[in-house]
Amino acid sequence: MSRRLPVAVAAVVVAALVLPAAASAHGLVGKQDLPIPRWLFAWGAAMVLVLSFVALATLWPRPRMQELRERVVWAGIPRVLEVLCGAVGVAVFGIVVYAGLAGSQSPLENLAPTFVYVVFWVAVPFASLLLGDVFRAFNPWRAVARAVAWAAGRVMPAGALPEPLAYPVRLGRWPAAAGILVFAWVELVSVNRDDPSLLAILALAYAAVQLVGMSLYGIDPWLRNADPFGVFFGLLARVAPLRWRDRSLVVRRPLSGLPSLDPRAGTVALVCVAIGTTTFDGFSMGTLWNDVAPDLQQWFIDVGLSAQDALQLAFTIGLVGCVLAVYGLYRLGIAGMRTVGEGHDARELAGLFAHTLVPIAFAYLVAHYFSLLGYQGQALAYLVSDPLGDGSNLFGTAAATIDYGWISATGVWYVQVGALVVGHVAGLALAHDRALAVYRDPQAATRSQYWMLTVMVGFTSLGLWLLSASAQ
Amino acid sequence: MTELPIAHIGHWWTSLLYLAPVLLVVVWLAVQSWRQRRQDRTDR
Repeated sequence: MSRRLPVAVAAVVVAALVLPAAASAHGLVGKQDLPIPRWLFAWGAAMVLVLSFVALATLWPRPRMQELRERVVWAGIPRVLEVLCGAVGVAVFGIVVYAGLAGSQSPLENLAPTFVYVVFWVAVPFASLLLGDVFRAFNPWRAVARAVAWAAGRVMPAGALPEPLAYPVRLGRWPAAAGILVFAWVELVSVNRDDPSLLAILALAYAAVQLVGMSLYGIDPWLRNADPFGVFFGLLARVAPLRWRDRSLVVRRPLSGLPSLDPRAGTVALVCVAIGTTTFDGFSMGTLWNDVAPDLQQWFIDVGLSAQDALQLAFTIGLVGCVLAVYGLYRLGIAGMRTVGEGHDARELAGLFAHTLVPIAFAYLVAHYFSLLGYQGQALAYLVSDPLGDGSNLFGTAAATIDYGWISATGVWYVQVGALVVGHVAGLALAHDRALAVYRDPQAATRSQYWMLTVMVGFTSLGLWLLSASAQ
Repeated sequence: MTELPIAHIGHWWTSLLYLAPVLLVVVWLAVQSWRQRRQDRTDR
């Protein structure tokens, strides 16, 4: 029976793919011109994962990714380049904040909302996937802190500056997780999410917190643990084949930077926040949430809240609920792994397998924000010429428009499905490799991954359901 | 009066189709585990 079941599922999927006309006759084809119903993509993706799992179990008997192998391709990167990147980061930060405060308060005319939500939040992770941790080079608060430290070292006599405090080990990456959750709240829940001046003020407040943190705990310890965007983008950059190490550029195999991720406190929370908040972004556009949210809002109005506060509270519950659901799904997989034995406790396993969630976080990000980057990202062409929305034309591109025809809705859907499948197969491969290193017996390692396979199929189906729901 | 989500089931019942692969995988893995345990007992 165990062999017949996947064969039967494969038959259904293959039949639908081979006979698209018949399949679409019963399908749910909406705005996208898809040859098969959207839910069948979830079945196909699950099949890909199951087949990948079987292939890994049979063809990958020893751990291969636990040792990081890197090759230096560019040693001795000029220090001036580092300074230049930092200066560019500070200048861009200044321009965005100024635009937010002094420019038009229309979100579509002002540079700040598009820069924050499209360039900073979406394009930087996309760039990190290919080029490594580019944000670190342009990080404006890091650049300012390093400049201040350099100047202080020149002015003050040696030893006059106090040593930074030791960063609390218990805090780990928790501040980063909390920061990303707060940012997601502003983006997805706050009714003032597009207010340019509010975004500018929040950016200044964020920079101030980072500068105080770095002055107390040291630049690098703070950036490694507590700068939410620095930590999150750095985490995603571990997927990349490039790594900027000290003042050299090294190459490595894609994904190979992830197994060396140290599972310090808050790491699982950070990745679950990233996946959960993206989940809520899709979920909040679907019919299920839009059926429930008004009732929830009304309930809060009935207990005395204003309509706006009630709406924000309802959405806050949805946002936190999605993060907890993602965390619960992951812990379910970990709890299942414990049943295999060998004395590993759940906390240890949760940390050891945390890096396997990073490709999923990336997949969700690509799936949910690819179209935003592809369409709204083009707005940058006119916004850089007219950042304040006051009619100026600094670079002669103020009349540029957004081309919505460069990729069709169907094309976007295939990119989304591809990202989800590739991301989850990558997560599965990382989990398999880690299991081989953790468990003494390869059979036990494979059995432990039954649970991770279920989690991955669950995340894939969830991702496709969310995309499907928001596309209707 | 607050309506239960079930009242809107016509809007989202197709969503259950996305749950089916997860359930199938769970069933398949449960059967695999059961066969493995039975095999282990037989070997002993």
